[in-house]
Amino acid sequence: MAYPYVSDREVRVVSKHFGDPLQRRIDTYVERGGYKALAKALEVGPEDVVDIVKSSGLRGRGGAGFPTGVKWSFMPKDTNRPHYLLCNADESEPGTFKDRELIRWDPHQLIEGCLIGAHAIRAQHVYIYCRGEFFETTQVLARALEDAYAKGYVGENILGSGHTIDVTVHAGAGAYICGEETGLMNSLEGRRGLPRIKPPFPAAVGAFGMPSTINNVETLCAIPHIVTHGGEWYRQWGTEKSPGTKLFCVSGHVNKPGNYELALGFPLSELIEDVCGGVRNGNALKAVIPGGSSVPIINAEEVSRCSLDYEGCVAVGTMLGCASVIVMDETADIVKQVRRMADFYAHESCGQCTPCREGTTWTAKILRRIEDGRGTEEDLDTLMQTTQNMVGTTICVLSDSVAAPVQSSIVKFRDEYLALIRRGERVGAA
Amino acid sequence: MSDVPFKNPGWAGNTGEFDLSEDQVRGDDFVGERPKHGGHASGSATMPYMLAEKNPDAVLFEGEYKERFEKILTRYPDKQAALLPALSLAQELRGYVSPASMDRVAELLGLSPAYVRGVTTFYTMYNKRPVGRHLVQVCTNISCNLCGADDVLAAFLRYTDTELGETSEDGNFTVIEAECLAGCGFPTCVQINSRYFENVSPTEVPKIIEHLKAEGDS
Ligand SMILES: Cc1cc2nc3c(=O)[nH]c(=O)nc-3n(C[C@H](O)[C@H](O)[C@H](O)COP(=O)(O)O)c2cc1C
Ligand code: SF4
Repeated sequence: MAYPYVSDREVRVVSKHFGDPLQRRIDTYVERGGYKALAKALEVGPEDVVDIVKSSGLRGRGGAGFPTGVKWSFMPKDTNRPHYLLCNADESEPGTFKDRELIRWDPHQLIEGCLIGAHAIRAQHVYIYCRGEFFETTQVLARALEDAYAKGYVGENILGSGHTIDVTVHAGAGAYICGEETGLMNSLEGRRGLPRIKPPFPAAVGAFGMPSTINNVETLCAIPHIVTHGGEWYRQWGTEKSPGTKLFCVSGHVNKPGNYELALGFPLSELIEDVCGGVRNGNALKAVIPGGSSVPIINAEEVSRCSLDYEGCVAVGTMLGCASVIVMDETADIVKQVRRMADFYAHESCGQCTPCREGTTWTAKILRRIEDGRGTEEDLDTLMQTTQNMVGTTICVLSDSVAAPVQSSIVKFRDEYLALIRRGERVGAA
Repeated sequence: MSDVPFKNPGWAGNTGEFDLSEDQVRGDDFVGERPKHGGHASGSATMPYMLAEKNPDAVLFEGEYKERFEKILTRYPDKQAALLPALSLAQELRGYVSPASMDRVAELLGLSPAYVRGVTTFYTMYNKRPVGRHLVQVCTNISCNLCGADDVLAAFLRYTDTELGETSEDGNFTVIEAECLAGCGFPTCVQINSRYFENVSPTEVPKIIEHLKAEGDS
């Protein structure tokens, strides 16, 4: 299959069938071994499923990288009250485009992962919260779900096990903040998507006031494979602390952008040079954002030292986030791009917390001023100070996410800001 | 198989780049067909669309839409949770969410009109005023922007002869900027009504516009 681009350096576990439309059919999925992991999970019971996932060391793929098995074990063991599993398909972090591909190419893999996850946390209902823009994606998923209901993989008495698990696809309506776990819960309940103060944590009081667990699409897609092959199998890839494979969404100035599934710990420079065919037009690399717009930007020297696992990214002062690698070559206009990201956060801030509501808008305005050649050097200090006040002072981490690109770009690309401030000169084209 | 001259013009089975017939994708049950009613309550009938043909005076809800609305209600432990899906259905029918639509949805779900307004205005996808037959949303966020999204946006504005956020005189197009549409590897990513157009370059814009005008409903 020539899914837009593939590389022989890839380890394709969850993305194995990207580019093959037959995979969407339930018959093909079952023929290729699908829904066997579900049968196994139903047979061994919740405790054992949690243990298998714990032993694999799988970490949440939604950004925070929290170990999934551990998260599941926080759920209460009794079932006096309903439990819910929420699947986070609100993918809106700029630079991220893996969940949509996972759903549209392999919807049954996600459904199976959701069912196993629900069984593990003793939930009887799964809500898959898809961002509202995903009309086509929700259609593919909902059609697959209808097929799965018809064949008895979902609903009452699944595969004759006596267990009932329902799955519902829920479409959002366009708000980045609904990707934040408690914002998503509020949105699902028919409220504004305002993040909630924690504690109480979702495992105690979540959706509809009941114990809930929330997982990213990619996390849940890995589950059937882990349950089938075992935790040790998954650990053959990646590092001790970041085991397994991960989808890297590469965008920006590379010759072959796209989704690549690689073992964690893969060197960032090889991802760009080898897997993605290098920087476009043979240009020099200027900067990379390795984890989506919410993580610090790194320069070419740091890129050469960065390995793509949770710890390797921290070692060069950034984060893996959701592994959305945004590549910028020498023609990129850093100030403009940071301003564009700041505009995004100003638009998406839910407005509950003053540092975030005011801070995002100020940041965007000051950056716009600098970009237009009307800035002063003090503006850079103001930006540093404003964003510093936004770190750790709010309900959710959207506010912190603004500080990362702004501060890191001012520190690392100060001369570009200064060139604009002093002479009104732009450094790059786009 | 459609013969559109650009890549990736929309529904799963209709992605030009893979050269597959609809039948190869899903058999008779292809997703590109807009499902009306029937099927399981969890399924595609409860999912919203964005249609070119809108009827601002449509009744909320009757016929097929009533059936879909009732199916939605069965999926949640309380009525309030059906608010977002219900507003989406209202928008699918009427093209935008007017204060009257909000009040009607409030009545159907036993919520206060003020509450429903608060929720509706929180979400960007609910159009608060009528839009053109084709709502063109061009992603200009970082990944697309690095690859020239500003030029694509300018091309759409030029060829549809509109201002940003305004509707063209013939009522065909409203062009707006969008935040990241999760198609970053296929820049520039443009959403037109329910469909994604990927790898759009400014030179393809006139072709896309001609195609949409010729196609009618989407
Ligand atoms: C502002 C904000 C936006 C987020 N958006 C998403 C998102 O779009 N998709 C996602 O999976 N996680 C998102 N997250 C992370 C979730 O809160 C949560 O950590 C994640 O879904 C947990 O799943 P995991 O354990 O499988 O990673 C976001 C977090 C924040 C603070
Ligand atoms: S930090 Fe920002 S987005 Fe998060 S809750 Fe506060 S105001 Fe809302």
